[in-house]
Amino acid sequence: MAPLPAPAVPPLPALSFDRPAFVAGMRALSPTLVGLVPFALIAGVAGTGVGLTPWQTIGLSLLTFSGIAQLMVCQLLAIASPVAVILLATLVVSLRFLMYSAALAPHLGHLPLRWKLGLSYLTTDQGFAASLQHFTEGRGVGTEATGRAWYHLGGGLLQWGLWQAGVAVGALLGAQVPASWSLDFAVPLSFLAMLVPAVRNRGTLVAAVAGGVVALTAAGLPFRLGLIVASVAGIAAGALWSAREARQAHRPHPAEQTGDRP
Amino acid sequence: MTAWTPAQLWLVFAAVALIALGTRAIFIVLHGRASFPGWFRRALAFVPAAVLAAIAIPGTLTVAGQVSLALDNPRLWAGIAALLVAWRTRNVSATIAGGMVALWLIQWGMGRLA
Repeated sequence: MAPLPAPAVPPLPALSFDRPAFVAGMRALSPTLVGLVPFALIAGVAGTGVGLTPWQTIGLSLLTFSGIAQLMVCQLLAIASPVAVILLATLVVSLRFLMYSAALAPHLGHLPLRWKLGLSYLTTDQGFAASLQHFTEGRGVGTEATGRAWYHLGGGLLQWGLWQAGVAVGALLGAQVPASWSLDFAVPLSFLAMLVPAVRNRGTLVAAVAGGVVALTAAGLPFRLGLIVASVAGIAAGALWSAREARQAHRPHPAEQTGDRP
Repeated sequence: MTAWTPAQLWLVFAAVALIALGTRAIFIVLHGRASFPGWFRRALAFVPAAVLAAIAIPGTLTVAGQVSLALDNPRLWAGIAALLVAWRTRNVSATIAGGMVALWLIQWGMGRLA
């Protein structure tokens, strides 16, 4: 019998365990755990706080692995939002992931599909930042084709494990806390805490103020559409503001223009 | 809380999960075969500030399902205290702790006055 022809698959990197890269990835994200664990507890408390069972809260967390999306779903369930608004809002808070995905694609795009899906699922805000910096500026361990996969996996799995443990503890404990403690207030507080560092310059300040003011005035809109309308308004206001700022920086001030039509 | 059956709730969770995974995976999976236009990239810079404000501000001021800007809403003052902590410390845990303690103190104080 003739030997079987070699299967026609493109050459894939041998993904044998790269322990130094895996450990380096874990080490890079270990400082983030100080903030991640309390945040996970809040995400767990939030779920049972709005009436989900502990298992539903843990299930949402296992499926999604995105703190902001989990907290937002809880918040929108609490005010009885329709499905379409929940999904649209999830898309809006996940838009930043598109940026992460595009930036990581040149570094992880060569991997087999299940690796690409797994590493995408494990990508967090800090994990993205640490990996991108390491892949573009780092040297040696965890920067070549296979090492990058293990580096990203190490950091991602460390965060994932502690996140899920924190959510589970929060969900089980939250179910025991009496309503008079007002623990539901921790959810908007966590968003306030993330909002402040997101305001980095005038443009983002305009976006935040517009988003907040429109959200307050649109709170009564039907189908709980206020969040969507306010998000779009805030993004548009920020983008228009900085486009105007950029134009003014590149063009002489109107007072200095002579003989030109306005 | 929405009156959904557990099966409906799980379907919503699955759809949320698909969006959270899809946005993270799309360009990595389609490596080199897709990208987004420049205007979209520029608009993305304002997404966190706009969306977080749109969630956080009405959420902070909501009492019993209604947004309240009344000056006797304890959550208004606790929210301002939390913003100050966030601005000074840039720390999520400290902000949540500060806001919760402020809310408890204000509620306790208002209870004493009433």
